[in-house]
Amino acid sequence: MLGEFEQLVLLAILRAEDDAYGVTIRRAIVDESRRDVSLAAVYKTLTRLEEKGLVVARVGDPTPERGGRRKRYYALSAAGRRALRQSIEVVRRMARGLGLGLEPS
Amino acid sequence: MSSAWFAPPRVALWLLRRAVPLTEREVFIGDLLEEGQAMAIRDGNATARRWFWRESLVAVLTLRRRKVLTPVPQPAGDSRMLTFLADLRHGARLLRRAPAFTLLSVLTLALGIGATTAIFSVANPVLFQPLPYPHPDRLAIVGERDADGTMSNVGFLTYRDLARESRTVERAAAMGSWQVTLDDHGAPERATGQRVSASFFSVLRVRPALGRDFAAAEDAPSTNSVVMLSHGLWARRYGSDSTLIGHTISINGAPYLVAGVLPASYESVAPQAEIWRVLGYDASLPYACRTCRHLQMIARLRPGVTPADAAVELSALSARLVREFPKEYPAAGAIVLSLGDATLRAARPVLWAVLGASALVLLIAAANVANLQLARSMRREEEFAIRSALGAGRGRLTAQLLAEGLLLAVIGGVAGLIAARVTLAMLVARLPATMPRLDAIALDKTALAVSAAITLALGVAIGLVPAMQDGRSEVADSLRSGRRLTGGRRHLARAGLVVAEVALALMLLVGAGLLARSLVRLMSVNTGFDATHLLTLQAQATGPKYADNNAVYLNHERILASLRQLPGVKSVATVSQLPLGGNLDMYGVNAEDKPLANPELAPYADRYAVSPDYLRAMGIPVRRGRDFTAADNSDRAPLVAIVSAGLASRIWPGQDPLGKRIHIGGPNPPWRTVVGVAADVHQRSLDATESSQFYVPERQWQFADNVVAVVVRTANDPTSLARAVRTAVQGIDPSQPVTALATMEEVVSTSTAQRRLALMMFAAFAGVALVLAVAGIYGVLAGAVAERTREIGVRSALGATPADILRMVLLQGMRLAMAGLAIGLVGALSLGRFLGSLLYGIDAADPLTLGMVALLLAAVALAACVLPAFRALGVDPITALRSD
Repeated sequence: MLGEFEQLVLLAILRAEDDAYGVTIRRAIVDESRRDVSLAAVYKTLTRLEEKGLVVARVGDPTPERGGRRKRYYALSAAGRRALRQSIEVVRRMARGLGLGLEPS
Repeated sequence: MSSAWFAPPRVALWLLRRAVPLTEREVFIGDLLEEGQAMAIRDGNATARRWFWRESLVAVLTLRRRKVLTPVPQPAGDSRMLTFLADLRHGARLLRRAPAFTLLSVLTLALGIGATTAIFSVANPVLFQPLPYPHPDRLAIVGERDADGTMSNVGFLTYRDLARESRTVERAAAMGSWQVTLDDHGAPERATGQRVSASFFSVLRVRPALGRDFAAAEDAPSTNSVVMLSHGLWARRYGSDSTLIGHTISINGAPYLVAGVLPASYESVAPQAEIWRVLGYDASLPYACRTCRHLQMIARLRPGVTPADAAVELSALSARLVREFPKEYPAAGAIVLSLGDATLRAARPVLWAVLGASALVLLIAAANVANLQLARSMRREEEFAIRSALGAGRGRLTAQLLAEGLLLAVIGGVAGLIAARVTLAMLVARLPATMPRLDAIALDKTALAVSAAITLALGVAIGLVPAMQDGRSEVADSLRSGRRLTGGRRHLARAGLVVAEVALALMLLVGAGLLARSLVRLMSVNTGFDATHLLTLQAQATGPKYADNNAVYLNHERILASLRQLPGVKSVATVSQLPLGGNLDMYGVNAEDKPLANPELAPYADRYAVSPDYLRAMGIPVRRGRDFTAADNSDRAPLVAIVSAGLASRIWPGQDPLGKRIHIGGPNPPWRTVVGVAADVHQRSLDATESSQFYVPERQWQFADNVVAVVVRTANDPTSLARAVRTAVQGIDPSQPVTALATMEEVVSTSTAQRRLALMMFAAFAGVALVLAVAGIYGVLAGAVAERTREIGVRSALGATPADILRMVLLQGMRLAMAGLAIGLVGALSLGRFLGSLLYGIDAADPLTLGMVALLLAAVALAACVLPAFRALGVDPITALRSD
């Protein structure tokens, strides 16, 4: 079972498709959840997910607005996709029949 | 806006580079910069910078290195310095991980180091530093030796003869006190000064910063209206006006030429003196007699001459003078003290005592931190075991502990220095103004060096105590058993430290107790007068308009008349000196029926020239005969005196003094009749044993006192009348300053300022010591209970009652406390030598004080044992046994 923030980070990586790195992942979460999330928190979670083998990282190219620093792109591993699916499935099942308007349409 | 290039806060970047782990550093900072840039374009640079800062702080706090104990790698090349740095880094990491331990240790160390540094700074000028004059060891004070062997001042003629004939003295000067009113350039102000020979500053080898030194030709009665100003007075009152030099200022209503201004660094020989006048002694006046010893002689000895050498030579010269003038000296001989001894010795005992007390606190603090470190090292058993198993030798582990100890001590030392800096100013403000060298107190290089040395020593000690306990043999056991060791030796060390803490705390508490009881005894001494409901102040009548004695008397009478009219005033009087007011005005008293071959051997007594109501206003009882009346002040009245009971019994033991005739001081004084006997009062100090006084009506004395104390007995609280009294006295002559307004109770209490200071410091240190010692007992016991959980479990499983367990734990704690008390009591017995003259009416081995303090400490120790004991009671045998 994934933590709530882990789910958000995984979903954000999926949304950003092939442009998923720190900045875009954080923006996705901030835009959709409307809460202020620190980059450090995102990184902490990314590190944990990487350790669990749920995401894989590759190093990208440096750009001038980053002071010549490189990016690190993230993508979900197969295990990551599986864990995310299971986790959301559990939430759905738990919410079923509670009249919260959360049932799949 | 799009052209605005985002400038990230550089400090934040620096922090990030240090805090973010290498694996994330580049990409993380890159992301922050990219987002910051975007935000700067959208919301402006300021918002972006704020956001960047917040993100950085969050990152520094959360993105730390993984919490895994990494064994310190042995650096290549075996550089010792590199190893040490690595140890320091590892130590710092460990300290950060144990914030409670670190904070407690640092605070304790800061307290000990701070207290010692602050007190050392206060004591340093008096105890250790040389006086701030060139070759201070060659400066000396020369005095005459009295019949009882004590040192006294010299008369001018004696000074002149000794200075002229001595071969051991290179150059000498005479000095006397000078109380002045500065009356131009602003409101009249009272200042303390000195009358000095023209040679005075060249004896000290001090040159004026501005203007010139006194000229030898000025040292004559008609040309002595020349003054030198201190830098402080010149800046404060005269606005650093350099055109003042060569011009006159008005002092006591007369013009004085300003010869020069001394350098700001000049430290006066006489405390608080700010202005110096050429002595210009008139040897033809009646008070220039050899017996009139009202000057001090300061001398610069020739190179290689010690004060003892000079004393031998000057004593021989003195003996010749006594042969020449047999009736003008009480005894032959000279006493020569180095200037340092002469001016500083009175303040030394209290400073030694307080410095000693702070050293005790330092020891207790060190013991406490060593104890904490020991306790922690028990918990780090496994870390050491692993490092040892990985090949770290005993030396490496010791080096690691040493590095940690030094790190702790240095942090504590820096915090202590800050604390010392803050408290020093408050401390100096509370010191008695009469303490010598107050202005020389500073947190200077010496103080810094001392605290650095203390810090290093503490660091080594704190590091080595746990290191000594780490035998290699235990390591294997520790790993094998997978459980904390209850290392016997280590327990012994911790117990020893706690015993030492209790013993030291007891000594401090006993010291505080003895000082407190001394002060209580002293304050309950019968002063001879009634200090309650008594207001005092100093009034003066100086300057040309008071050149005539009668003008002074009239001024006093006008003051008295105006004060009598104030509601709430019961009686008022003037007196030439106030008991316990810090004056010294003594005269020899010769009785007509007890003639002495050498009149100089007559008993000395304090002189009080008084207005008629003085004894009544002060509440000094008249034991026999009568008090003075207004009639005694009339021109034709016969000369009379009242003597104190002590003086009467010294001159006429067992006889009735009433009606006897005496003459007092001077070359040919008139006879006066004793009309009354008053109770003894304490003039110099509450602990003085001998006291002799005589009282004369002020108009019957040879001269008028320009400065007198006014005493006002009030019906109610004297402070409520203070303002009215000051206004009334000031109104009589606005050109004369009114000073020293205080209740008599304050005057009495000020006379004990040194003792109060010592008591205050001892009490503060003892309180700290008590807290630290209790914390020590608690820590050891709590640790012991935690380690004995299993044993306690077994015991209660085998049928030990809660009472048994309670008794066992309490006994363990109280055994330590009792051992500490026993050792401390032995140490406390040596306090007498240490506190010496600060004790009054009480023995250092006072059983009541020792008993009370021991009881208090035992009670507090018991309280410290109770919590761990109850924790032991709460041990559940099942859990305790299963925990393994």
